[in-house]
Amino acid sequence: MRIIAVIPAYNEEKRIAETIEKLQPLVDGIIVVDDGSLDKTADAAKAAGAIVLRHALNRGQGAGLRTGTEAALRLGADIIVHIDADGQHDPSFIPALVEPIKAGEADVVFGSRFMGLAPVNMPLRRKMLLRGARLFNTFAVGIPNTVTDPQSGLRAFKASAAEKIDFKQDRMAHTSEILRLATRSDLRWKEVPVEVRYTADTLAKGQFGGGPFRIVWQLFLGMFNK
Amino acid sequence: MLIQFVLVAILLGALLMTWKRAKQNVISFGEAFAWSVLWIGAGVVVLLPQTTTLVANFFGVGRGSDFVLYAAVVTLFVLIFKIFISLDRMERNLTEMVRKEALRDLPEQHE
Repeated sequence: MRIIAVIPAYNEEKRIAETIEKLQPLVDGIIVVDDGSLDKTADAAKAAGAIVLRHALNRGQGAGLRTGTEAALRLGADIIVHIDADGQHDPSFIPALVEPIKAGEADVVFGSRFMGLAPVNMPLRRKMLLRGARLFNTFAVGIPNTVTDPQSGLRAFKASAAEKIDFKQDRMAHTSEILRLATRSDLRWKEVPVEVRYTADTLAKGQFGGGPFRIVWQLFLGMFNK
Repeated sequence: MLIQFVLVAILLGALLMTWKRAKQNVISFGEAFAWSVLWIGAGVVVLLPQTTTLVANFFGVGRGSDFVLYAAVVTLFVLIFKIFISLDRMERNLTEMVRKEALRDLPEQHE
């Protein structure tokens, strides 16, 4: 099975190479979507051996993931893995993430930070926000509350599932959107425990950088633009 | 009152302009008619403000001028929301273009 990792990257020239190097032994191809970076992210990624696509303008993480996913499908991926550029996801969890797809048990697998493995250095504020997000997802977005991680950025799709999940949110709201589309379709989904490492660096650019209210607002607007 | 005079003059100007444009085929007859209804309606409200009280009472609002204000707020809200939605759509179209450009040089490699 051909596994292709998709990394959306915005101004990550310092960290992208290390992420790519750690990923290389675990996947068959790496696509970096340089989302209109102002630094040398594209060059750094190319030098590290990734396939690099460039957004001429910054369009957001969701947009980057979508571009990368379409590219991975074109390149004949059987499994597509979404991963963050900043190194907060430990690539060593990728085999566990794709295992249910390889075994034919699932079509979509989400990495969850709340399934036993304690996140390293997760601040209390972030924990509370995520708890709130989970409630919001259940009642407002309609995502089953059996989903333990409302904002996981580490996920794997079977190619057929990636074609089916038609996510359109360009910024941070794509996480909730993908969860909703996956859990409401006839696709088989699963969560596996992953560990996430928080550093001052990754926190500065975290999921809630734009503010949770913006995510809610974007999801709301999205309802009117199908 | 001066304010009535000014407003009616503006509305008459708008009415004349509407039909001038209709004659020039810039807007259709139906559109011109709809605009005319709006201008004349506004003229009636300006000249006979008590008519708004009738409408206001129908909706359960006590005073005509209050009703005009409420209606204006609701109308503005709807219009602004529509702008938000069209902006969101534009953003999505922009993303679609940026994506096409990014994927253009990618070789087709389907097995």
